[in-house]
Amino acid sequence: MLNPVGIHAVGLIGPGLTDFPSAREILAGREEHLYAPVQIPPTSLLPANERRRTTQTIRLALHAAEEASEGGDRTSMRSVFASSSGDMDIIDRICETLTQPDPAVSPMQFHNSVHNAPAGNWSIATRNPAPATALSGFTGTVAAGLLEAVTLQLAEGGEVLLVCYDVPSMELFREVRPVHEHFAFGLRLGPVAGAPWRLRLEPRPQAVETRCRADALEALRDTNPAARCLPLLERLAGAHAQEVVLEAPAGRSLAVHVEESAEDTP
Amino acid sequence: MNALAITAHTQTSAAGTGNAAGAAALREGRSGLRRCDLPDVDLETFIGRVDGLEDHPLGGELAAFDCRNNRLAELALQQDGFLDAVAGAVRRHGADRVAVLLGTSTSGIAATEAAYRRRDPDTGALPPDYDYRHTQNMYSLADYVATRLGLNGPAMVVSTACSSSAKVFADAWRHLRAGVCDAAIVGGVDSLCGMTLYGFNALQLVAPEPCTPLDRQRRGISIGEAAGFFLLEREEDAPADAPRLTGHGESSDAHHMSAPHPEGAGAARAMREALQRAGCAGTDVDYVLMHATATPANDRSEARALADVLGPQARCAGTKGLTGHTLGAAGAVGAAQALASLAGDFVPGTAGLTDPDPELDLDARATSEARPVRRVMLNAFGFGGNNCSLLLEAPC
Repeated sequence: MLNPVGIHAVGLIGPGLTDFPSAREILAGREEHLYAPVQIPPTSLLPANERRRTTQTIRLALHAAEEASEGGDRTSMRSVFASSSGDMDIIDRICETLTQPDPAVSPMQFHNSVHNAPAGNWSIATRNPAPATALSGFTGTVAAGLLEAVTLQLAEGGEVLLVCYDVPSMELFREVRPVHEHFAFGLRLGPVAGAPWRLRLEPRPQAVETRCRADALEALRDTNPAARCLPLLERLAGAHAQEVVLEAPAGRSLAVHVEESAEDTP
Repeated sequence: MNALAITAHTQTSAAGTGNAAGAAALREGRSGLRRCDLPDVDLETFIGRVDGLEDHPLGGELAAFDCRNNRLAELALQQDGFLDAVAGAVRRHGADRVAVLLGTSTSGIAATEAAYRRRDPDTGALPPDYDYRHTQNMYSLADYVATRLGLNGPAMVVSTACSSSAKVFADAWRHLRAGVCDAAIVGGVDSLCGMTLYGFNALQLVAPEPCTPLDRQRRGISIGEAAGFFLLEREEDAPADAPRLTGHGESSDAHHMSAPHPEGAGAARAMREALQRAGCAGTDVDYVLMHATATPANDRSEARALADVLGPQARCAGTKGLTGHTLGAAGAVGAAQALASLAGDFVPGTAGLTDPDPELDLDARATSEARPVRRVMLNAFGFGGNNCSLLLEAPC
């Protein structure tokens, strides 16, 4: 098992889940989850002209980043942006353009097509020169992101922002990539001291994934690779026993142990 | 744990298939660039294309992974005894203790481009044989390599544009340090596709002639494809004659999505961090294997970073005139070239350089120079202002 790191704050946006504080009662099983399509509020981090140059994918990721980084030093924390597929809308538009004779790819779409577009926009918006990374682990992306963020925190110290996000597929991809909802969440990780939760990771051979306690959330878990975090968020909200098992890449699992901090119960 | 040992490696690019061909091209300055002859791409530019990928589809149990990117991965894996070296690591550590951490920028996007061209003319549906998960998805490369090699340690794909396959070396260091694995396959693969060729063309960053890094007349990049793989282990688990990764540095420009910081501030930060981790000074570096893409702005920004960290007239080389800019594989190609120069004791030339740009204030030469090389700094920078520097050293 890896050494513990602290979870200092959480960000969340998904269908019927507008932010972590308001979703807490739902995640704890005390309120019913009511489906509502995701509306991404405009970020205050980017000036209006910069905002126009972003995409829905970038805005989704930045929204979760903004909530999870609240209260931390946004100008110095390292960041990890994890997404199974990246910006599917741009991929759709560019591949469509490439079917035309003498294709005219949009330069802005092209530079936003990189998997680290949210990471780049985040570092620009927060004027943060710390390292940023972007990764994928297909349906094990949440586990890959957690392992990356935790090993970063343990090796380098300081705070690490983890953001996991994926956008729905375009119509053409509904069958080959059945992702139907927007979903993003963020964790601000750091030293154990002063954190409301302690997190420990334990990579394991393939094991049964933890399911959500609430049926409505369990139905959501499969609609987006980032929504695989839901059992962990239920755990943070007080539901579940201590251990949550997530699917990891390469036929592995990741056991996630969470403890409320004794001195600072959330 | 400070350094990691590199116990096996392999490279394949337009400059050559396997280490021996790549090293010979590097020493002799033999370019693999050719006029763009990729089907479905009609651009006046030069490319670094690996021959024969069209004729070697992936078959059998791995057929679902078949796409240009994974074919290139397979071709590279077969060179230099790399498969045997991985088998040895599995015997030493166990298949679940070997991580697969690889970089790519566009994965198997060419498969999706082809699928869009083959949509049903009546319904618009994708062709039934199109497999998103095993080709275009960003994780496909690590999925392929882990499946092919029978590994099930931690696995992921890092995709930070042109720094991707340099950053995975830093990830391996952290994974080994945390104890989640005992060895890691790192590196990366990127392959030619319409998206990057037309995309960089739209940004007016593509040269009409073979790229000329660090030259006064440089006009942009030539795009290439490549694969490079490295087996990293703790020093105590490795033979004494293995070269080492002794430092890494990462940073963000926090400046612009597709243009580098004009003063190279982010690049300098990454280079300083790499030196600091290795516990050495700029004067201990024999030469810098620059990112040197050959766009006017990129080379100027990187040169200013070198001047800042190492002083004027830093000894350096840029190798994208040999292979093209291989994007997400650039870090892996550079690392393999750095190892070739350490093993062969030469500072590579800068292919395509005829008139060094005096404004850059660098010591870059057209041809390679035979001399002892102990320590190489390698730079890889990507869109989003994503920077990574590595320090590679000869055996103690």
